[in-house]
Amino acid sequence: MSRKRWFQVRHDVSGASRRWLTLLAFALPLAVWSAVSYVPWIWHPVVKIEQPGEVSWMRAGQLVPKEDFAREVAAAKEAGLTLPSGKRANPIFLPAPHEVGRALYTAFTTKPVLRGDRWLHESLWTSIRTIFWGFVISSAVGVPLGILCGAFASVSRSTEPFVDFVRYMPAPAFGALMVAVFGIHLEPKVAIIVIGTFFQQVLVVANTVRKVDGGLLEAAQTLGAKRRQLVWRVLVPASLPELYNDLRILLGWAWTYLIVAEVVGVSSGITFFINQQAKYRNFDNVYAAILIIGLIGLVTDQVLAFLGARLFAWKNPRPSRFRTFFQRLFAGRDVLLFPDEPAKKEISA
Amino acid sequence: MKFARWFLCSLVIVSLAVRANLSAAPLKVAFSDWPGWTAWEIAAQKGWFKKAGVDVELLWFEYGPSMEAFTAGQVDAVMVTNGDALVTGAGGGKNVMITITDYSNGNDMIVARPGIKSVKDLKGKKIGIEVGFVSHLMLLNALEKNGLTESDVEIVPTPTSQTPQVLASGQVDAIAAWQPNSGEALKALPGATAIYSSANEPGLIYDTVAVTPQSLAQRRADWVKFVKVWDQVVAYLTDSATREDGIKIMAARAGVDPKEYAAFISGTRFLTLAEGSRIMSSKSKGFGSVTGSSVISDDFNVKNGVYGEAQDIGSYIDPTIMADALKN
Repeated sequence: MSRKRWFQVRHDVSGASRRWLTLLAFALPLAVWSAVSYVPWIWHPVVKIEQPGEVSWMRAGQLVPKEDFAREVAAAKEAGLTLPSGKRANPIFLPAPHEVGRALYTAFTTKPVLRGDRWLHESLWTSIRTIFWGFVISSAVGVPLGILCGAFASVSRSTEPFVDFVRYMPAPAFGALMVAVFGIHLEPKVAIIVIGTFFQQVLVVANTVRKVDGGLLEAAQTLGAKRRQLVWRVLVPASLPELYNDLRILLGWAWTYLIVAEVVGVSSGITFFINQQAKYRNFDNVYAAILIIGLIGLVTDQVLAFLGARLFAWKNPRPSRFRTFFQRLFAGRDVLLFPDEPAKKEISA
Repeated sequence: MKFARWFLCSLVIVSLAVRANLSAAPLKVAFSDWPGWTAWEIAAQKGWFKKAGVDVELLWFEYGPSMEAFTAGQVDAVMVTNGDALVTGAGGGKNVMITITDYSNGNDMIVARPGIKSVKDLKGKKIGIEVGFVSHLMLLNALEKNGLTESDVEIVPTPTSQTPQVLASGQVDAIAAWQPNSGEALKALPGATAIYSSANEPGLIYDTVAVTPQSLAQRRADWVKFVKVWDQVVAYLTDSATREDGIKIMAARAGVDPKEYAAFISGTRFLTLAEGSRIMSSKSKGFGSVTGSSVISDDFNVKNGVYGEAQDIGSYIDPTIMADALKN
């Protein structure tokens, strides 16, 4: 395991190492979290009272800073009172991994108590729909406008300064206005997401289109391309892979506006769950909900990355992992078990 | 093309929403997380509105967004404190308070660090409050009752939801907030005590249902039926046989454990229609009447720059709805 093998500049690591490293990326934070939660002498700055003894203000289940607890125990010992007892614990805002896991399970399996209430997965679906529509509407206007800005200096100069100006306006400030214009249900939330995403999108798309190799444009013009063809047949296809990646990143950006957007109008979606649980200090539920959102984002991004690799295969030619797997599966035992060795050719009689 | 279609759809939706104020439409009532308002969910779940012959749609918001939606004309009524009804009215959402549900009886507290035993000890100390809100009003009331003024203490502007952490960090000597933040502050700093609460001044904060003047004019009979249902809710919560079920419904609406939520009920003094009607129609000065309490809130709001001009309190209160509801 030499340093040379792991730290080669611009060189990917081998297949098995790739998988282990990806696993490590998640296992490491989880390990740190577990260590801080379960190992009693790492952090644990408070004491959870089990027996309050005869100290007047202590209650069972209360969390007391450990210096104060030590002080009270010493004072009680001197006064000859029953000593309080307790275990070292972490503050309320850092639940242990198993508590979050349990909260995750409970949140999804708890039946809604009230008539007209929704399951957690239904609230989650509402949130996903909000993001989806916000992003689709923003892209429907933002991407064409961005392409035009990237292609034509006149469009760029008349649009971009204003877009850049509005970009800095905080989307939450538009909340009351959106409710007044669009109502209280899904529409103002979608509008907030659009406001948050659209102005960034135009600038990012314009920039990507501007980065297209000038040589391609010149070659097309040499071949007699007209203006419309230059945009539609050269700029757009050439910038499509980068545009796809930009949109992937902007989708992540849109997700960060979810909490802000869902507070506007009638409380709905996963944000209502997060806000109520945070208000009542049930932080294990808050962590669980945040983890769900992170997981959805990660899975969406990976699926889009996979699709992107297929759509733009000409950018990164590489044998399809599916095809390679099936080839090996049917190529015979030797190839399946020892994929990196050259296959022994069968000598036909 | 897609954009044009969506834009057209949005226009249609908006125009339909604007035209939806037909009398066949349900009464849209915005409510939020306060025990006196969450209790209306019991009526919705048990079908008492339908039995009373009124079509009501209860819409759950965060408190701030509920007032925004009301000002935007998207709902017919909103549940607010009497002080905030004035603030909403001054901000363009003119409203009429037609009923009071409860008054805060301990859920709003001044929580002080160990060592400060009474309001008098607050002299010269730092207090974290959200300026211009009811917690500020309660603090001024507490100071006045103990012979102090606002200039005798140092106010540290703090958002209400952050008061527990700020108190625990030692940056302030006391905070003023409402539940669940006030309860959390007591837990966050061991040994902290509530040195003053709304129980010391009943009527400091009345919780009301405020409706738009046009809805009140067009559908007065429906609003009387709506108000009448409140007595059933209070009875359901006072009767020991049904109280637990009522709390279960309220806790589910708020999204918390019923045992945790039960603690907040004691800090809210629910008012029956008869009790509320007396307080609503009284014109006495001071906190014993909604009028008196609102005048004090109005002065407070103007003085603290919440809005510019004093409001016409009489136009904000209509005690006749409760009186009619009692008559039937």
